[in-house]
Parts: sequence; structure tokens; C-alpha cells
Amino acid sequence: MSTENLENITADKVVDARGTSCPGPLLAAKKAIGEIEKGQIMEVLSADEGTRRDIPKWCTKKGFEYLGTIEEAGFFKILLKK
Amino acid sequence: MYKNENECNTNHIFIYQVSHQDNWNKVITPIVLYCELVNNNSEHLTMNLKNKKMAKKLTLALFSGSVDKLTAAGVILGGAAAEEMEVEIYVLLQAAFAFKKENAMVNDRVSEITDKKDDFLASLKRLNAPHWTEAFRTAKEMTNVKIHICGFAGKVWHGEKLDDFIDLADDICGIGEYMSSAEDADINLFI
Repeated sequence: MSTENLENITADKVVDARGTSCPGPLLAAKKAIGEIEKGQIMEVLSADEGTRRDIPKWCTKKGFEYLGTIEEAGFFKILLKK
Repeated sequence: MYKNENECNTNHIFIYQVSHQDNWNKVITPIVLYCELVNNNSEHLTMNLKNKKMAKKLTLALFSGSVDKLTAAGVILGGAAAEEMEVEIYVLLQAAFAFKKENAMVNDRVSEITDKKDDFLASLKRLNAPHWTEAFRTAKEMTNVKIHICGFAGKVWHGEKLDDFIDLADDICGIGEYMSSAEDADINLFI
């Protein structure tokens, strides 16, 4: 998905894990995914480079749809659909 | 024994059917797995079975009692928790020292790059990394983690009872349990 399309997405849940280091953001995503319904979209904010690679892999394993990542100044917005 | 889902008793859940075939590809023995309902809650039971079947297992022989390696173990446990792995930790020798109630929070020994210990510990704080006990606790809350203290290791550090160790510890056991658990693990680590 293009960055422009990603930016137009409104997430049903935003998880701000910028204050934590690996594996904090992944664990925050794992906790929060239980709070949304199938088909809903979650946005994970992470300042951790490793998480940017971990979440797409985690999505594949868990059967969620990884939508893409937007790079912001000093952090990433990682979007996925349950 | 049921041949198919339609025959299944209402108190049982039909899981799946496997057919044994002879050399001529003729079905000779259908094998049917079923399970009895607990509290009549079929949703709960099927979920459990599904998780049980799919969960991968990590066994960890945890020898180190130093915070650098315990912190690394905590990070790996976080990864295992995110994937809902089943985890069995066997606390051996020096790790049993770190698991003693009086040591867990005050022990700040590191085992490598010891001349940079202050920088290392300050960086953990700066990066907001949880203390290893907290990382272990989070993993326990999120997935099935069992922590076993090796009985011999406990005695080496004057800990005879489970109560001598932090509440993360589930029991005191012998090495045989580690062997049989590690045998069928998908990942086995020594730290």
C-alpha cells in the first residue's frame, strides 16, 4: 500500500509504544490486538527499528494483515488489520 | 466412536477425522477424535485444543545469575510471549542465586564487558528497559511460562523451599524434568 493510501487510513486503535524498547512495542501490540474486532485496524507507534521488522512477521504468523509502515520523525507508524 | 460429525454425541465435540488407507487407497479404518465438553462450553474447549495443537515450545536452561544475561533472557521471553509459545525455564546454579528473594532486585552483577558495567546499567534505564524480573513477569502474564528451580542449585545458595525464591518460581524440580521437556521443544536455549 502506498504511503499516501496508508496516511488516509483511520485506525480503530492506536498503541503508542514509543517509550519502550524491544520487545516492548511487540508486546504492546500483542496485548492490544485482543481489544479490537476482526477487520478493525490498529496503528502501532514505535521508535524501535527492530519492531518495524518484527510486526510484519508477527502478523504473518498470527494471520493478521500487515498494511504498511509510515516513517515519521524519530518513530514509525505500523498499520495492521486484524 | 463416531464415523462423522453428524453422529457425534451432543456432549462431545467432533475434532477431525483421519482415514487409514490400505495399499489400494481404499478406506479401511476411519479414526475419529472427539472430546468431551467441559461445562458445556464448546467454544472454550475448541479454542484450547487449537492453541494446544499450535503452540510451539521453548525450553530455557538458565544458568546465569548476572543481569546482562538475565535481561537478554527477558527479551527472548518477550518474543516467545508475543507468539504465545509454551515456555519452560529451568533455573540452574548461578541463576538460582539471582532468583533468591533477597538477591533478585539488588543483584547488579554483569558477566561480560564488566569494565563498562555502569554504562550498560545506565543505558538500560535510559532505554526504559524493564528489570529482568518484570520482563519475566510480563511473559508469564501473556503466555504459558513455567519456571522451575533446580533443587541442587537452590541448596547451593541455601534455598531449600519454594518460598526462598521470588514468586515467579513455580516449583523446585530435578534435572530429569528438564530433559524430558527439552526433548520435545521446538527451541532449546542455554543462557
